[in-house]
Amino acid sequence: MNCSMCGSSAGCQGCPIGAGFYLPHTLDTLRSGQRATIQRLAAASGSALRKLLALGLLPGVELEVERSWPAMVVRLGNASVALDEALAGAVVVSIDGG
Amino acid sequence: MFYPARGSPSVEAAAESHDERLGRELKHARPARWLLVGAPNVGKSALFNRLTNLYVTVSNYPGTSVELTSALRSDGDRPVEVVDTPGLYSLLAVTEDERVARRAVLDASDATIIHVVDASHLERALPLTLQLLALQRPLVLACNLMDEAEARGAAPDLAALEERLGIPVVGTVATTGRGVDDLARRAALAHTPVDGWGLPEPYAALARRVAHEGEGARALIEAELALAGDPEFEPQLAAECGAWPEIANERERQHGGPEGYAVGLATSRRRMALALLDGVIPSAGINARDQKRLDNLLLSPWTGIPLIALVLYLAFYQFVGRFGAGTAVDWIEGVLFGRWIEPASEAAVRSLVPWEAVQDLLVGPYGLLPLGVRYAVAIVLPIVGAFFLVFAALEDSGYLPRLALLLDRAFKAIGLSGRAVIPLVLGFGCNTMATLVTRTLETRRERVITTLLLALAIPCSAQLGVVLGILSIAPGAVMIWMAVMLAVFLGVGWFAARLLPGEPPVLHMELPRLRLPRPGNVLVKTGTRMRWYFAEIFPLFLLASVLLWFGDLTGLLQAATRLLEPAVEAISLPAAAAPAFLYGFFRRDFGAAGLYDLAGQGALGPAALTTAAVTITLFVPCVAQFLVMRKERGLSVAVTVLVVATTVAFAVGGAVGWTLRAVGGWQ
Repeated sequence: MNCSMCGSSAGCQGCPIGAGFYLPHTLDTLRSGQRATIQRLAAASGSALRKLLALGLLPGVELEVERSWPAMVVRLGNASVALDEALAGAVVVSIDGG
Repeated sequence: MFYPARGSPSVEAAAESHDERLGRELKHARPARWLLVGAPNVGKSALFNRLTNLYVTVSNYPGTSVELTSALRSDGDRPVEVVDTPGLYSLLAVTEDERVARRAVLDASDATIIHVVDASHLERALPLTLQLLALQRPLVLACNLMDEAEARGAAPDLAALEERLGIPVVGTVATTGRGVDDLARRAALAHTPVDGWGLPEPYAALARRVAHEGEGARALIEAELALAGDPEFEPQLAAECGAWPEIANERERQHGGPEGYAVGLATSRRRMALALLDGVIPSAGINARDQKRLDNLLLSPWTGIPLIALVLYLAFYQFVGRFGAGTAVDWIEGVLFGRWIEPASEAAVRSLVPWEAVQDLLVGPYGLLPLGVRYAVAIVLPIVGAFFLVFAALEDSGYLPRLALLLDRAFKAIGLSGRAVIPLVLGFGCNTMATLVTRTLETRRERVITTLLLALAIPCSAQLGVVLGILSIAPGAVMIWMAVMLAVFLGVGWFAARLLPGEPPVLHMELPRLRLPRPGNVLVKTGTRMRWYFAEIFPLFLLASVLLWFGDLTGLLQAATRLLEPAVEAISLPAAAAPAFLYGFFRRDFGAAGLYDLAGQGALGPAALTTAAVTITLFVPCVAQFLVMRKERGLSVAVTVLVVATTVAFAVGGAVGWTLRAVGGWQ
């Protein structure tokens, strides 16, 4: 999992920018065309969490961002799901590939 | 008609004998009831139609069936009650209609559950299959939309899946009927699945402590939902279970709280599903890009918004407005009724019925025939029918969720998520039906705001037809009317969003594939809605005619009208317009039609006409809509909506009239 602040996957020891804390990527920061794997769900409420589960957004799921505006559209396998930034912000991901 | 699903005939034959053996043993032990369960938009309703030959709405929008629908199927030796349920992604329900479906699943202890899934999306659907398997009820997996899966090279190996799951797995294409007979045959023989599909550990251990040993599979599922933080079951089981505080601590320690439990369990089921599907679904890449270009056009605001305008113009203005409300109404009302039916029936009644009061009830100015039947058949039928036809085509194409996505940001300003666009667009057809569909919205706040906006600023198609007719008399009035409606819609929504407490709206939905509307589906949907409309609304129309006749006869109507006169005069309308407002409560278009008559007599100038059209559109919902509001939202919300609508209607109507006279120099 690479840090969204410095891009390093080596962890915070020897952080190149000296931030000293790990800043994860969340789904809402991804751009169209990027692929990612869900690491964990950081939903602020039970109802937000149940929505993510209903959409099939679970740790370990691989996804591709199809659109980021006016709302996020994410492809999971054969299905496309739409969610807004607030909900996407609760999905912690690691970016796959380049 | 029986077409075996491709790729599985040999194993199907083998499994059949196994089924039939068990079926012989169990046939008379179980009453026949089949419950269709599954995610929205996988063809449950279409399958229901095929299984029962009764047509209900089939929708390509997540969540248009908001209630249970059941019908009898008679084949073989005994009747089967088939029940269709609203869409459900998981037993951990999110919306009100999902809770309706979940309740049906949990309560139907004697039913065979048919889990309907999209054959191309098995990996999304199988976790719910696993949840249903844990219920220990007879279960059949219907892999619907097999034709689409085959076309995309994603057709699953049904025989292999059947062997792994130990329950019948049948491929179907509900729209053509392929595999449906096979599904019925195997559902009739379905038996309780083999053991071993309970909750995965360590989640089961905790659930067993809540449910106590030996209380059955259902109690265990309810315990699972409670532990996952379900707002319905957690408080309930916490109150019932003495050891709850201790168990909740244990949940905190093991899983980090209800969220951790829910995510962990869902992840564990997903892993089970993926393991089951390994080798069952083709691993070759599926071409998912076929629709991307079209989707980009629809979803990018630069092209999407002009396309909305084009769709609205062609579908609603040209087809519903010009053809439905124009050509079709003119012919049916003017020629069919005006020249043939009414003169003949009036002459017949006047000569055959001796009492004048009864003559009036039948053919008088508020009579059943001129008001009730003529309005229903000559005005409502063509306009509402044209609207439902267009709406069904949009629904079947998958366009509506894209519209929801595109408008989501704008809707957030009025406290709604883009999902609310579906009931709001449907409201242009029938506000009463749309008020029922607000169930698919997730929070009470969104449901109340949408209910209010429907009652206030969305004219139904019958009313719209007459209002546009009135406004055609004054050039430019239509634009003013539209601008005022939009301003009221946004303004009231904005205020309501600030006044009503509650969670902010969240957009979340699956985007169904875009497809060309299938004529069969569209006609079936339109027909079903029309049937609903005539069964639910038409009796109320007739009742309204009788009430108006009675009120006229007894003088109550005139007395009630006098109460409204000061308000009508306050916004500079002639007192003669007061009855129109009163009728508006019985039927939204009645009121507008009364004004239409006044306008025709030249009693209203352009300013007064615009005032009247604005006021009557905003004014109270019709009596059917009021009854549904009361049923769905409760009496206090319904009455509040009524009061708000009346106040806003007269305030805005008056302001528009004053502005037109003072600033615009209109008469």
